[in-house]
Amino acid sequence: MAGDRSQRDDYTTPLKRLLIAVCCLCLALIFIVWRIDSPRVERFRAQVVDAVVPNMEWAMVPVTGTINLVRDFQSYQRLSKQNRELRSELRQMQAWKEAALQLEQENARLLDLNNVRLDPQLTYITGVVMADSGSPFHQSVLLNVGSRDGVRDGWAAMDGIGLVGRISGTGRNTARVILLTDAASSVPATIQPSGQSALIAGDNSAAPLIDFLENPDKLRPGDRVVTSGDGDVFPAGLLIGQVASDPSGRLRVRLSADYERLEFLRVLRHHGTEGINTPGNLVTPPPGAPLPRPRPENLGADNG
Amino acid sequence: MASTSPAHIWLMRAAFPSLALLYIFFHLLPLDTVPRQWAPPDLLLAMAMAWSLRRPDYVPTVLLAVTLLLADLMFQRPPGLMALFVLLGCEYLKPRALTHRDTGFVAEWISVSLVLTAIIVLNRLALSLVGVLQAPLGLILIQMLLTIAAYPLVVFASQSILGVRRMTSAELETLGIRL
Repeated sequence: MAGDRSQRDDYTTPLKRLLIAVCCLCLALIFIVWRIDSPRVERFRAQVVDAVVPNMEWAMVPVTGTINLVRDFQSYQRLSKQNRELRSELRQMQAWKEAALQLEQENARLLDLNNVRLDPQLTYITGVVMADSGSPFHQSVLLNVGSRDGVRDGWAAMDGIGLVGRISGTGRNTARVILLTDAASSVPATIQPSGQSALIAGDNSAAPLIDFLENPDKLRPGDRVVTSGDGDVFPAGLLIGQVASDPSGRLRVRLSADYERLEFLRVLRHHGTEGINTPGNLVTPPPGAPLPRPRPENLGADNG
Repeated sequence: MASTSPAHIWLMRAAFPSLALLYIFFHLLPLDTVPRQWAPPDLLLAMAMAWSLRRPDYVPTVLLAVTLLLADLMFQRPPGLMALFVLLGCEYLKPRALTHRDTGFVAEWISVSLVLTAIIVLNRLALSLVGVLQAPLGLILIQMLLTIAAYPLVVFASQSILGVRRMTSAELETLGIRL
């Protein structure tokens, strides 16, 4: 034991201990600063990611491609079974296509009747998914568009069909999208036929929970869930998914966006919904307008 | 190959962050964007410990701290905290590199498992103390157990492929460390 001690003293000289203490102090300090002033450190993190990940891209693209190729090749083995399934699905689809065509015509007619104009300010930038969060505890992806392209925090990201997540953290060339499945994500939503508002809260599973619902009895599985635009988070009316209930009876959203293959995402430019802040002129007179003359006080007494 | 020559030591010191970058690279590949029900082992953690126990001179404190901090930043973890605990764990293991020469691998594995468990528990405690949103406990436990299970594999790979094995008495003497 005595020899053991002397080695140990040899090995960790006081200088070394000091170095360890300084390193630990620095790390602890970084964590404490992050806890106190999170946005600043997260901006720093975004800059680090912005510096590191684009350098890896030249290798990432071919490696991802190769791995996906191998996966696709594995799926060839199930080809005949898949083929059969696809045929039956195709038959169902043809029925749906008929329905969709009819609905499209009807929709066009109704839009024409109502003279509806879709929001012209809602334009988008398309970005390519470069990387995912890299850890099983967080659900996010990194896009190759950033503040250089005018992307700002809080904008919505969609794939062709449904909402995928929101921008949180932009570097110069990259932007991080927090997916709806992340535990930190919650989005105000409306559930379509019943018009109830709810919060779609991610919990690290493939289907986020429907939370803060007023009357769960009014929901049916298959109801459409769209963003409500409450709190000025997202533009209203973006499709999120359909209501589904899990085996334990809790209501969840089956997301419309294809989370299996997130490749290209649209980032919607959103400049805030216009609020109505002033009372209308008909309701109250504009400031400075002459007030109507007050009703004479003795009028009622004369009549009586 | 003379594993005590300064050139070789510096080469291996460069190898550690390079392997860490490679590990980060493979984790960042956008292959799985669907939440999974399991978590893969934290090979970086296992590697840091295996190397600390075999060749402490290959993983100097500052290098370890910077590499772990980079991993924290890239993996969206609270920056600094996990790195702090892993650094403390590795520095706790480093002086034991010489004592574990005499005991078998099982004893080493047990002590590594204890340190790993301590790191995870301390990390979770610290996060709950400051009120940070935490990952589900099940996933973390799975990751911890898989990391412990993967430790022998990491040791084997480090020893056979990278040549990170314990120093012989002759090598220790050339480095000026008394036994």
